[in-house]
Amino acid sequence: MKSFSNGAKNGRARYLLGSVKKQPVVLILIVISVAFSICFPDRFLTYLNISSIVSQFVTIMLFALGPSIVAAMGSMDLTYIGIWMLGGIVLWRLTPTLGPAAILVIPVLGVVTGWLVGVIQVKAKIPSFILTLSLLVAYSGLTSLLSGGYPRIVRGYEFITAPLIPYVPTELVWTVPLIGAAVFIMRSTKVGTYLYAIGSNEEGAQLAGIDVQRYKILAFTISGLFTGLGSVIQFQHLGGSVPLALNLNTMVSPLVAIVLGGTLLTGGSGGPDRTILGALTYVVLYRGLYISFLSPEVLQLLTGLLLVVSVVIASRELRSVIVT
Amino acid sequence: MTVSIPEWLRKNTGIVIAVVAAIAVIGIFQAINPFFLSHQGRITLVYAMSYFLIAACGLTFVIMMGSFDFSVVSLLKLAALLCALYIDSIGLWVIPVAVLVCAGCGFINGLLFVKFKVPSFLATLGISVVVDGISLYLSRGFLHVITNRAFRSLSVTFFAGLPSVFYWAVGIWIICTFVALCTPFGRRIYAIGGNPTAAALCGINVAKHRLCVFTISGFLAGLAGVLYMAQFGGGSIEIGADMIIPLFASVVAGGTALTGGIGGPHRTVIGVILITWIQAGMSTLAIGRDIQLLTLALIAIGMSIVTTDRTMVSIIK
Amino acid sequence: MAVPVLEVKGVAKTFDRVVQALRGVSIAVNENEIVGVVGENGAGKSTLMKILVGVYPPDAGEWYYKGTRTSFPKNPNEAAKKGVAIVYQEKGVIPALKVYQYLFLGHEDKYMKFPRLATTEMRRRAREITDEFHITCDVDQFMYELPLSTQKMIEIARAILGLRLEHGNDHAASVVILDEPTAPLTIEERQGLFSYILDMKKTTSFILVSHMMHEVLEFTDRVYVLRDGSLVAHYDLSRESVTEEDLFKAIVGKTSFEHAARDEGPAVPGEEVVLETRSLTKRGSYYDVSLELHKGECIGIFGPAGSGKSEIVKTIAGLMSFDSGTLMVKGEVARAGEEPHVRLTRGVGYFSGEIERQLFFNWPVKENISIVNIDKVLRRRGRIINFNAERQMAERITARLKIRTRDVNANCRSLSGGNKQKVSAGRWFERNPDILLLEDPTIGIDVGARKDIYEALKEMKSRGMSMLLVSDDPKEYSILCDRVVLIKNGRLQREVDSREFTEAMST
Repeated sequence: MKSFSNGAKNGRARYLLGSVKKQPVVLILIVISVAFSICFPDRFLTYLNISSIVSQFVTIMLFALGPSIVAAMGSMDLTYIGIWMLGGIVLWRLTPTLGPAAILVIPVLGVVTGWLVGVIQVKAKIPSFILTLSLLVAYSGLTSLLSGGYPRIVRGYEFITAPLIPYVPTELVWTVPLIGAAVFIMRSTKVGTYLYAIGSNEEGAQLAGIDVQRYKILAFTISGLFTGLGSVIQFQHLGGSVPLALNLNTMVSPLVAIVLGGTLLTGGSGGPDRTILGALTYVVLYRGLYISFLSPEVLQLLTGLLLVVSVVIASRELRSVIVT
Repeated sequence: MTVSIPEWLRKNTGIVIAVVAAIAVIGIFQAINPFFLSHQGRITLVYAMSYFLIAACGLTFVIMMGSFDFSVVSLLKLAALLCALYIDSIGLWVIPVAVLVCAGCGFINGLLFVKFKVPSFLATLGISVVVDGISLYLSRGFLHVITNRAFRSLSVTFFAGLPSVFYWAVGIWIICTFVALCTPFGRRIYAIGGNPTAAALCGINVAKHRLCVFTISGFLAGLAGVLYMAQFGGGSIEIGADMIIPLFASVVAGGTALTGGIGGPHRTVIGVILITWIQAGMSTLAIGRDIQLLTLALIAIGMSIVTTDRTMVSIIK
Repeated sequence: MAVPVLEVKGVAKTFDRVVQALRGVSIAVNENEIVGVVGENGAGKSTLMKILVGVYPPDAGEWYYKGTRTSFPKNPNEAAKKGVAIVYQEKGVIPALKVYQYLFLGHEDKYMKFPRLATTEMRRRAREITDEFHITCDVDQFMYELPLSTQKMIEIARAILGLRLEHGNDHAASVVILDEPTAPLTIEERQGLFSYILDMKKTTSFILVSHMMHEVLEFTDRVYVLRDGSLVAHYDLSRESVTEEDLFKAIVGKTSFEHAARDEGPAVPGEEVVLETRSLTKRGSYYDVSLELHKGECIGIFGPAGSGKSEIVKTIAGLMSFDSGTLMVKGEVARAGEEPHVRLTRGVGYFSGEIERQLFFNWPVKENISIVNIDKVLRRRGRIINFNAERQMAERITARLKIRTRDVNANCRSLSGGNKQKVSAGRWFERNPDILLLEDPTIGIDVGARKDIYEALKEMKSRGMSMLLVSDDPKEYSILCDRVVLIKNGRLQREVDSREFTEAMST
């Protein structure tokens, strides 16, 4: 059981220490950054490496934003890859006819997907992970169908990643406000409070008068929106091409970022702000191991292990939270 | 049994839909492509169904118990790979090794779930990624062709016009059905899926049974992988991670609900027939893998909705 | 005499055209007062409260707010506007929210600077509230960080706050219903909670629904007693002195005891001690519990709600652990963390009235019975289920316990409440464990089913089974037990034999 503090006001120092204790991942991040810098000074602290870190961070965050909102509410949303893939291919199809305005299709797809997931989950009571997984597979099939079987490259949107500020990747410039918006919604609005409430104690939220069904659907819809908006940046950031097959690694890394960041999968805590830390830690760890010349297979293996380990740790933390 | 027909129909909606659909599917495909039910077509179907059924039986036990096993496909691939890689060095011993390794992974799944309280789909997802990584590392892109006749004969020896892998599948399916319906062990699995608290109070060692079932699932996945490799004889393994969807769809289409406590291998066989025949039918119509996946995913969602007993469930995450 | 803040007259409610939950009940709540509402389970307390907060409408009745007649609320929000809110017994708290977030949950619209929440303002206001109610906490703490009693106080504060916000008037008369507020708390925490409630009485009236009679007598101003849906007693504690026994008899009804007399005297228990506890302690629930249960004997642990009796039984069943002391089953030490299936292997079965924890509703009757007796229905060779034997066992049990079902293949869900419970009893009847723990075994079921279950239990007892009973129905103790141990505040008091007990209850 968490220790009972008796309401004394925390001093600044105690507050800081307290937050480090609550977020051990901060410590991990610092430790591994320092460790890799010491071990591979000529490879780790280079411009190339740092920009790779930033680049990967952007990729993961853009995928993980939506799902981390849903995770804070206690469910799982695995459709992000699907929205990106399907969105990309639909874009490829529509750009010749609609021009650059076609880009709006992706966020719309995201919103519609999220809404659909929310409605089915709430009305039919299907567990979200299997529902979103099935939808993800359906989307990948649809993508393949629409692409005619070949990976396609979408042209005409290079302006999204055209250099704006020197030394700062443009993707980051677009991503930061998106992250900011997600964090804002979860931490500073009524919707965010309600989503945490539902994640923490759905029955209690219901008793408090919250329309749980409505907010669950809203959570999935918002998630879809963020994934959709993120995909707009994402697909260009990843070279403008749309892949055909599902890559397990791409699917799992955002999940690792979410769990590592400290979002309990049963809901009630965490969210986009925690995921920033998780993503950063994961990416630094990944890059650190990458430049130590481990083979990609081992890397994938470690990703899986990391997922398992972080969930185990997260589940232990879960048991210490009292639910009356 | 004094149950009226309309009432029976209502209780068993899932399976009725599945059977009707299976018949319809066969009819449609046969009509479009007369070679569908030809001798060659039938053999293809049988080959597709057999190893699939074995893996589906394992997954059925897990879902009956109220959990989920995402790693079945990865374990299947691992077992197949181990056979291809090491058959030349250790001969037929590779079979028990592959199967035991997979059973061991299943056991780890169970441990994560029971001891560390990791939700089953997440634990198995993680293991799945790890196993895929191992597979990737081991195979390093080599394509192996198996020349060991004894090994291949496991699956491709013909009796009465059907390959041996078929008889393996039928045999295993019969055993699984028997265990589920006629043994105390099976009863207990249903109990845990139906009401875990009541199961504990009825004297069932829930933790032990959970470990057991995950191990069995791994074991059967391994077995399926071995027979798959014996069937195909080498080359790259053309199973994608998304095979979990058709597997899951066939379990659910058969009538084993996600909520646990009902269904079973006897139901799954119908789902397997339905799903593999739809897949095979679509292949003969040259419908791409993409639409196949799409269709199967939609079936998975649809059948989940139909079979979920919403009165038993209050809070779904 | 001042006009009551809230008064309802003649409230009636029938469910499914059959179950009359309330028959013409009238209660009134005055300003700055705490009114107690007591009664057995099923007496109608919960139905009445739900009507007051608008969960469902009554079939008949009048609602008066400060003397003016208005309609019953149609939903909890309307009830809040009418000045009534409820604090539920459990699941009302949201652990992951911070104190100030939880306090204003549902009322954020009053603190919105679109699109963001005015958190500074919320924090400030929250601090004012916690100061007003003397709650020691930091408004930035998460709810889960606080002790349960503090959480409860904040829950109550939140209810009061909600009413004030709805009314727009800080000192508007309002009524907060407290449903078993001390039930989830440890014995030590309960005292503290009530001093806060008494403090809050200055601005709010309370309806206290509770099983804990000593609390009701100590802290309320007036008490209403419900039995079987009717109001049977009303005490004004400022004018009359009422003892726990008086209250108890009003709740239970004197006449029912005449039918409950045992036909035989207390059986002579065997020599063998089948279950023994020595100084069993679980902090916050029970302390220093020492019991000896002999073979063929039935002991009851009797006490008010929250006295620890339920926790003791659950501990022996394996559903809970204990902190110190020894538990011995049939001479062997049973360790603290053992799971229920291990206890069953030792010979301890657990039969409770909470059917959701006992039965498999999707399963047919015969399978619900056989699951605990699976070893008896296996074929001679191999561990295979003999379906014939299973069916026969079920038919035997169904006949013996007079379970009303179409046949043994029917799903348990289709059975009525009493019959479901009989199925649960039936499986233990067949299993015949050495020791059967009973917790509220016949709660909420009809008299006929009750009688049948008692008969079955008595037959099992005559076969040598020992029982430990915990229940809220004193008649059950008279019928089943040889001796009764009284428990209060987690400690065993004295022991009486069955005859003494029945006499004490009847006078």
